[in-house]
Amino acid sequence: MGWISSLPGWARWALYAAIGIFVLSLVQTLTGETTELTSVGTSQAMLRWGVPILLAGLGGLFSERAGVINIGLEGMMILGMWFGAWGAINYGGWVGLVVGVMGGVLGALIHAIATINFGVDHIISGVAINIIGPAGARYLSSEIFSGYDGGSITQSPRVPGVGKFDMPFLAGGDVFGWQSPDLLGTIGELEIFFLSDVANLTRGLMSQVAPSTMVAVALVPISWYVLWKTRFGLRLRICGEAPKQGEAQGINVYLYKYYGVLLSGALAGLGGAFIASPELGGIYLEGQVNNRGFIGLAALIFGNYRPAGILMGAMLFAYPFGLGLRDINETASHTLLLVTAVAMAAIALWATSKGRRLDMVVAAVMAGLCAAWYFLSDTVPDWWVNILPFVIVLLVLFFNAQRLRVPAADGEPYRRGE
Amino acid sequence: MTQGNDSPADGSPTINQPAIELSGITKTFPGVVANDDVSMTVAQGEIHAICGENGAGKSTLMKILYGMQSADEGTMRVFGDRVDFKSPTDAIDLGIGMVHQHFMLADQLTVLENVVLGAEPTKSGGRIDFEAAKAHLQEVSESYGLDVDPDDLVETLGVGERQRVEIIKVLYRGAKILILDEPTAVLVPQEVEELFRNMRELKADGATILFIDHKLEEVLEIADSITVLRHGKTVATLPNEGVTASDLAELMVGSELPSPEITESTVTDTVTLEVRNLTVGGGGDRPAVDDVSLKVHAGEIVGIAGVEGNGQSELVNAIVGTVSPSEGSVFLSGEDITRRNVRTRRESGIAYVPEDRHHEGLLLSAPLWENAALGHQTKPPYARGFFIDRAGAREHTETIRAGFDVRTPNIDVSAQTLSGGNQQKLILGRELTSNPKLLVAAHPTRGIDIGAQAAVWDEMRQARKDGLATLLISADLDELIGLSDTIVVMFRGGVVATLDPSDVTPRTLGAYMTGAAIESDDRTDDLKGTP
Repeated sequence: MGWISSLPGWARWALYAAIGIFVLSLVQTLTGETTELTSVGTSQAMLRWGVPILLAGLGGLFSERAGVINIGLEGMMILGMWFGAWGAINYGGWVGLVVGVMGGVLGALIHAIATINFGVDHIISGVAINIIGPAGARYLSSEIFSGYDGGSITQSPRVPGVGKFDMPFLAGGDVFGWQSPDLLGTIGELEIFFLSDVANLTRGLMSQVAPSTMVAVALVPISWYVLWKTRFGLRLRICGEAPKQGEAQGINVYLYKYYGVLLSGALAGLGGAFIASPELGGIYLEGQVNNRGFIGLAALIFGNYRPAGILMGAMLFAYPFGLGLRDINETASHTLLLVTAVAMAAIALWATSKGRRLDMVVAAVMAGLCAAWYFLSDTVPDWWVNILPFVIVLLVLFFNAQRLRVPAADGEPYRRGE
Repeated sequence: MTQGNDSPADGSPTINQPAIELSGITKTFPGVVANDDVSMTVAQGEIHAICGENGAGKSTLMKILYGMQSADEGTMRVFGDRVDFKSPTDAIDLGIGMVHQHFMLADQLTVLENVVLGAEPTKSGGRIDFEAAKAHLQEVSESYGLDVDPDDLVETLGVGERQRVEIIKVLYRGAKILILDEPTAVLVPQEVEELFRNMRELKADGATILFIDHKLEEVLEIADSITVLRHGKTVATLPNEGVTASDLAELMVGSELPSPEITESTVTDTVTLEVRNLTVGGGGDRPAVDDVSLKVHAGEIVGIAGVEGNGQSELVNAIVGTVSPSEGSVFLSGEDITRRNVRTRRESGIAYVPEDRHHEGLLLSAPLWENAALGHQTKPPYARGFFIDRAGAREHTETIRAGFDVRTPNIDVSAQTLSGGNQQKLILGRELTSNPKLLVAAHPTRGIDIGAQAAVWDEMRQARKDGLATLLISADLDELIGLSDTIVVMFRGGVVATLDPSDVTPRTLGAYMTGAAIESDDRTDDLKGTP
């Protein structure tokens, strides 16, 4: 397996994704219960659900690479959602996204001042942001949205969006009014094993996509480029790895930590504004962020503090949610049980090859339980897909904890000249 | 930043100006005067040593010179120009570079990233020009014979290589004045020679080197002139002519140099510690400790020599009980303790002076009396049944304070307020007053001043005389040779030699430690085995 770890990050993740899709299409074909596991609709829903998680994860990346733990992402997203909704209602969809970014930055500024200037414990400050965020949003709602037509203390009127877009040639998008061919759609309709499944899932990522979604996805390579190829990125990362060493080279550690935390808030705020946009909620509604900030942190850990991994983590966590939305008769969730069983069996085999006995036993037992549940039932309750992302997070932490490379000085208080 | 008064018009250093001129530098921290009216002059192109005990103010002086701290009073001139540094950047701009005692490298970054940090060549858009950076790095490393691979992750490098990276980092920025803070503290003799060779090359190339050291033989070997600091004051600046180590020591401490010598043998026949075929780690990787067997008798000090990272720490951990060995067993006074946990081991008589006193030895923010109870919190005088015996613990701490000369205003101050030497005396006192059978001492005098070092050695000698078995791990070869009854050399996890300290020198020991003696010396086989 050594050759896998020698691949560049994006190629490794693409390989894992291909293996995942292969398992999905195999199980789907063999059981014949559903076609939703690899449908275009599921993939579209996954992307929409995944974007806020991705943005929160990237936000966490900038903050923690600069050495500041940010569990305040949730609160920053709530502020971003409120400001995003307010901005969009008053000035249109694009402005809404920008105002949402500023709302997130506002929350991040508090976190930055507390942790960087006053040396407050990062967790405590983050918890405080998570309390201030929703409370502030509710106060603002009672002051502002209550006065709007269709608004109240917990919700806003409808929020306008930024339109939708189909990729030309691959997903049949328009080119200056000319309808281009729909290549992936054609392959998808041929119903070839695996190939059509890949085509469907990929088409879902390219059809009926909001430009804001594309911006979010584009931020993945941009983040990588900024952090690993530029002077700014190197200096920001030294603050998370070895701030004293950075200081000795004349780098203003406080400044770069500020950049990291504020960028973190900006990305979380964008994620929040996205939740309020028609892509997901279409209104500001209290509680709609629904722990996506924390799931974003989980994606950050899943992705081992790297952008491509965060993207995969966000999509993996969003997949069960997306499937749940499409799953009218609950057969797809039921089939997903079997997929989970296969995945756990694969983990058990992997743990065996590494000689990790405890991991092997845990994975094998879980594989057995999932398989038994699948064969002894016809449907699963709807909470199953809703808890699945959290289960995945726990499993990742359980099986992968030793391989994680947390920035060495992440969470440590820093004082100049000590 | 610079207020040039007599600087030459073209800005280049004038030939006869001293590289550095300090006068009347004073720096006070709350409660401590770190530097008190320090004055010194460093000529261009010389190697200038700064000696002094820990706490004499050497590091503070260097930090002022490098712009990390600013002096309260006094003036600094660099190449004749008066300067007032606000940050290290100002010092770097004037060609001053510093290699810190604790390396300033980020482990998870590559050598190249570490070197360019803060002086990155960039293309448009802030993109780092890694090609140009690599070319420049290789140019520097070749012209001074400093060999490193720019793409290695720093965490994969050894101590000597890391130091080379540090020096390259400084030269990469075009430094003409190098400050080296205790550069030899972490090196074996062979690496020290390599470093000195590099230093001479740098000097031949016109660089000025300022270095801190308290190993006096090294100072006398390499320095052109020597400045001695004591209690924050400059005692003397002397040229290196006809000066002896004891002259310097007297200037440093006002008394004679302590020596770690032990006198008559007190070794008995009673085996206190026996380690049998111990292996730690393995399972795919090379084991950290590989089939090690050794015995320590009552009244004996067994010294373990080895370059750091050759299994000494893991061996200690397996004896103390913080890691479980994959094979082999540990016996204390004939009892198999391999499966016991740390607390029961400590209770049955293992005293432990850990390698890193800040992380394993003390709770830095806790008061001294709580620190004194650490590791012994289940036994009198620190505990009465389930509860901590506050009065008893405090009383016992006072005993340690008096008996081991722990200099502190009272026992309620937090451990971080003590100097390294006093912290170490507190730890040693705590361990030796617990009535142990075995003392495991890892680097007991690392980073502490000569006075405290002598006190630690005295206590260890006294304990040996009283029949304590001691396992001593140290990187200070003089200490090992002086104190030990037997020296065991570890290399790549295994015992490669067992030597009699009366007929080894630091040089021969160094050869065993780097593995050089193993291929060349066929005596090794005869020397193997337990004492």
